[in-house]
Amino acid sequence: MDEIIARSNLYALLSRILLQELDVERLEILRNDETVLEFMPHWRDWEPRRETEAQKLLEEYLNPDFTNLSLLHLVPYETFYTRSDQMIETGGANPVTDIYSAYDFLVDYEVARVVSADHIGIEMEFMHHLCEAQLKAMEESDQEAVQELIRVQHQFLNTHLLRWAPMYLINMKYESRTPLYYDSAEMALEFILSDNETLSALVQA
Amino acid sequence: MYLESRRTFLKGTALTVAGAAIAKGVFSTDAAAESVKASKFTNTPDSLSFYPPQDQWNSFQELDGVDWKRGGIDRHGVQSEENPEGIYVNDYMIVPTACSNCEASCGLTAWIDKKTFTVKKYMGNPLHPASRGRNCAKGYAVQSQMYDPDRIPFPLKRAPGSKRGEGKWIRTTWDEAMSTIGKKMADTIRKGDDLSKKSVMYHVGRPNENGFVPQIWETLGLDSYNSHTNICSSNGRTPTIWTANDDRTSPDWANAKLIFLNSSHAADAGHYFQQSASFIADARKKGAKLVVMDPRMSNSAGMSDLWIAAWPGTEAAIYLYLANRILSENMTDKKFVKKWFNWETLMNDSEHLNFMFEKGQINKLPVDRSFESYMELLKDMYAPYTLDYAVKETHVPAYKLEKLYEMFIWAGDAISTYIWRAAAAGNRGAWMGGRAAYFCIGLRGAIGTEGGTFFHHWHVISVSGKGGSSTVGQGIAGADVPKVKVWNELTWPPEWPLSTYELSYLLPHLLSDKEWQKKWNDRGLNVPSKLAVWIPRMYNPVWINPDGFRWLEVLKNEEIMELTMNLSPVWSETNWYMDYVLPVGLAGERHDQHSEATMPARWTSFRQPVLRVALEKSGWKAKNPARATLEAHIKAGLGEVWEENEFWFDLCVNYIDADGSLGIKKMWESKRHPGKPVTIAEWYDAAFGDNLPKLKETATNDPRYMNEEFPVYSYLRDYGVWMEEDKIFNAQERELKFEEGEVISHGHKFAASTMSIGAGGVISAQDHHGKEKKIGIEIDGKKMEGFATLTKKLEFYTQWATDWHWREYAMPFYPRNDEEKNQYIHLVSHVNHKYMTEENAFALNTVFRLPYNIHTRSANSKHLMEISQNHDPIWISTKDAQRLGFKRGDAIRVRIVDTVSGLEGGHFVAMAVPTEGVLPGTLACSHHGGRWKLTNAVTIPNGVSDGKVAPGVAPRDLNNKEFLAESPANVGKAGGQSIIDDYEGTTGLNSFGVPVAEIQMDGKVGKLKYVEGIKPFHTERFAEYNRDSGNIWWDGLSGSWQNAVAAPHPDPVSGMHCWHHKVLLEPAQAGDKIGDIFVNYDNNFKVYQAWRDTLTRGLDSNSTLRRPRHIKRPWVNLDPSVYEVSIKS
Repeated sequence: MDEIIARSNLYALLSRILLQELDVERLEILRNDETVLEFMPHWRDWEPRRETEAQKLLEEYLNPDFTNLSLLHLVPYETFYTRSDQMIETGGANPVTDIYSAYDFLVDYEVARVVSADHIGIEMEFMHHLCEAQLKAMEESDQEAVQELIRVQHQFLNTHLLRWAPMYLINMKYESRTPLYYDSAEMALEFILSDNETLSALVQA
Repeated sequence: MYLESRRTFLKGTALTVAGAAIAKGVFSTDAAAESVKASKFTNTPDSLSFYPPQDQWNSFQELDGVDWKRGGIDRHGVQSEENPEGIYVNDYMIVPTACSNCEASCGLTAWIDKKTFTVKKYMGNPLHPASRGRNCAKGYAVQSQMYDPDRIPFPLKRAPGSKRGEGKWIRTTWDEAMSTIGKKMADTIRKGDDLSKKSVMYHVGRPNENGFVPQIWETLGLDSYNSHTNICSSNGRTPTIWTANDDRTSPDWANAKLIFLNSSHAADAGHYFQQSASFIADARKKGAKLVVMDPRMSNSAGMSDLWIAAWPGTEAAIYLYLANRILSENMTDKKFVKKWFNWETLMNDSEHLNFMFEKGQINKLPVDRSFESYMELLKDMYAPYTLDYAVKETHVPAYKLEKLYEMFIWAGDAISTYIWRAAAAGNRGAWMGGRAAYFCIGLRGAIGTEGGTFFHHWHVISVSGKGGSSTVGQGIAGADVPKVKVWNELTWPPEWPLSTYELSYLLPHLLSDKEWQKKWNDRGLNVPSKLAVWIPRMYNPVWINPDGFRWLEVLKNEEIMELTMNLSPVWSETNWYMDYVLPVGLAGERHDQHSEATMPARWTSFRQPVLRVALEKSGWKAKNPARATLEAHIKAGLGEVWEENEFWFDLCVNYIDADGSLGIKKMWESKRHPGKPVTIAEWYDAAFGDNLPKLKETATNDPRYMNEEFPVYSYLRDYGVWMEEDKIFNAQERELKFEEGEVISHGHKFAASTMSIGAGGVISAQDHHGKEKKIGIEIDGKKMEGFATLTKKLEFYTQWATDWHWREYAMPFYPRNDEEKNQYIHLVSHVNHKYMTEENAFALNTVFRLPYNIHTRSANSKHLMEISQNHDPIWISTKDAQRLGFKRGDAIRVRIVDTVSGLEGGHFVAMAVPTEGVLPGTLACSHHGGRWKLTNAVTIPNGVSDGKVAPGVAPRDLNNKEFLAESPANVGKAGGQSIIDDYEGTTGLNSFGVPVAEIQMDGKVGKLKYVEGIKPFHTERFAEYNRDSGNIWWDGLSGSWQNAVAAPHPDPVSGMHCWHHKVLLEPAQAGDKIGDIFVNYDNNFKVYQAWRDTLTRGLDSNSTLRRPRHIKRPWVNLDPSVYEVSIKS
């Protein structure tokens, strides 16, 4: 049970970091949560994390870096990496929308503020929801649903996130100018690879 | 890559806050998602070429295009009461039709929104074998034409008491117009004399149908079907007639290795532009080479493998250079030549061989009559067409001609070509270019092959006029219609006995030329001096014909043109001078059977009034079945817009011959419902069913249609297109078929017992009237159909030319030196470089199309006009511009000078644009520019206040039973005039595309000056479709009306108006504005006379026939007796 909670939380955490600029509330979690700090050694040791006032930290350090990493210099969308013409598919032909639709999920673009549904933050959050569903199934001892949800997570990870997110995250790591995003990139990369191993083992079992 | 995790991610469970609280929460599972689940619609197709399967056309749901930019339903869900912000889903009925904005007849589908009963969009028809679901910009313009705010809303009549051209109009009814016109036609026909039979004339622009209106004219017994063809393509058709007795080439672009375009046509602007361009693209993808011969760097030339910029009219020299090398380098396909060239005819004609020898066309007489001697004769005859000669005459660099030859040989027998427009239509004698082209292609055996060049009649379906079995009087396919017993000299003047089509552009000249009329009347003919009724159809000769002021003079003269009406959906220069303008429909508003030779197959499209079809398929029935299209268009809010098929049925039965005394009524009277006009379904079920056996078999065996009252019609109604036969190659080798005592050749039946084989293996037999016809040829014991010529072979020796005084042109030939240019003047272009004696003299190339601006009827399509602005300047080579001091944007005067008479016709003012893309010494300026109108708007009251009726009560909705149950009563009659939606009594005149001009004319000199450009405007009529009418940034000036300055140049052989001009350039003078024209149309008249009198070889006192009997005499079947003629000396 711990495992599924951990996976769900990590997907949620990473999706939030990668989707949008942080707000003060989430920043405080990242600044103070020991588990998070353990995952992010450079962030943990970074002086401004400890000493700078939250709003200032966001406006002068973190948000400019995020803007650079997800809007200006890098493109955190799957179709940018998977289409030969490097165009982001913003319409209904986006490869992830069918999967979201299949599980009755619709992206609320007003909230997400992305141009298409294959943004890394959205895909991560989708994984988080699948984990939550699995957790619920486990709580209800619905083994059939659990197995199905594990299979779906494994498939989604392999047909989407793993096909392109490593490229983005490696680039993000080297483009980043703040320890938070440097560590987040590394953590996200390692997590999805690790998670694939976890899921593969479960699927094979 | 990833070996081991350096952290234990399980620690993630120890986050201080649950993940759900950290996540942004971007997913929702609300009403939007539910709405998607509940809907049935088409999501994003995988490719742009997507079309729904035909079995879903009656009901097809698709997301609204406007909303797509919002990301589709996966973002917003489907619109519903619970989800009002969702994406709108259209509920379509898809009805097939065919485009009518050029001659190609590409398939279209109208996507009719059932909820509003409007056409939301026109797309292609994926079932069309040649257009394959694709369309050009003009195809998609059909929608803007349908909802054109200026489209003519109801029948118009010149206001009583006003003069033609005054611009005073009143609304009239179809009935009143048909009564007036029908009575005048009937009164004239009833007189029965020859002159009367020549005095009711129909004059069509682009027919876009295969035989319907000609059949009307045949049943009227009149020889007065007039077409635009001689301003279009006669010089392209003449070589085909002389060589294969066919109408035109039919290339197999898709399988060709060499695509050799003699013009920018096919891949650029037309003919059959979109279909040809797509096939050419397919071929190039497979490795084919493209060569474009054109003095202007057209779009096609720009993307070709080789651009050959030959001096206009010298193209024959290039073909004969190729022929010389093929012959001298022994690259001839001797097997083909021996089998299919009529070499025996030449070799057995000692008189002609001697003539050629005396003329110096050959250096020695053949030693015997063998094939080998024929080959030696050809080598001898074409040896002078050397590379040096060709370079000098054509101005094409040697390396290009050598490259061309390499490609020509490399392509083997897969050479596809088109001899159409451009070179052919521009130059005197250019028909010989086509002859020479066929000759060198024939030498390589590339005729009729896969990827080769073939001829039209094998690749076309013409059944539009053959629905006779549905009528009381016509018989199957019109077999019982009497042949026409009159010859009209206004369309087929005696000076041009070999004219390919009618000398239509000379109509105002011949009607005004009292001397000419007297001359031929004195010599025993009976030439009309006036027309009782003149009916142009969707035709605008004032603008597009040469010498427009002469047209205006004649149109305004009520003694020469007594009653005139144009069947026209839109305003035009010509309409302004009419007595009646009767609005008939455009591509999605009319019935036509239309087939063209665009691929080696026989296909036909079926053009349909899509809104009427949608109504009928939804269960609606017209109150008056003879006027169903008119009722449907009123119901749809288009106005009192009709179609021609029903118009003619009704006119013939109820107005021209209501009592049947003229014998016309029965021809168009329904066999099922005697006394009533035949209906569309009756006619086309018969026309298709009686003449296309494979279609009939398919339709009548299909469970969906076999129990229908009109299965064949219904099948085409639903599919919009049919292919009767595919992969038609080498059809000349088809063996004669024998069935039940009959022998069948080229689709015609003859009595097998009368068959005989004559000289050269030519097989003859008698037709059903006992007339002997040449039906085929026996070669090596095989009885084949052969070509349609007298010898059944390709006639590169046209023996019959001698009978018509053109002996020296019986073989492919082009003058080899200056002396011969004088001797063979008929083959020398009137803009040959030999005439360019002044420093500022140029050959003006006029005959290329602006792809978006080719027809009057599309001039008010906003998007076409927007992309056509400022595209018609004078293109001049950089070095010529530098030499004369012209810079880009300069206004220049272009003075047109005739090289036959030496007379100047006037000038037009155009904008200079220097370019590397034209051959030095030549200029390019399309003659498709210079539209004008005399006023911005015209007031013709709707008549709402004087008893006009509403078109209906129920909201327009195909799912609404009340809407389907109602139909306007008495349409076309005085009591049935309907209120026109959102029409306030004033209509604009081509507000998107045509500027206002002032005209002055005094009988000899004419001037036109533009005074006001077009402006942004707002319209209530079809407001939803014209929301951006306020966004007009262009002034509408699309070039100069150069056609008015152009004098007629009738080719002495083909009758083609030779469009190019010799011009003198000079800087604009004070007061000149681009677009101005000045015309001495008195001089232009003399130019026509000079060409006629110095170049033609017409009938004389030795003549016994008006025209060779064996070549096509288009439109109506003539009684054989009317060919006979006796001319007094």
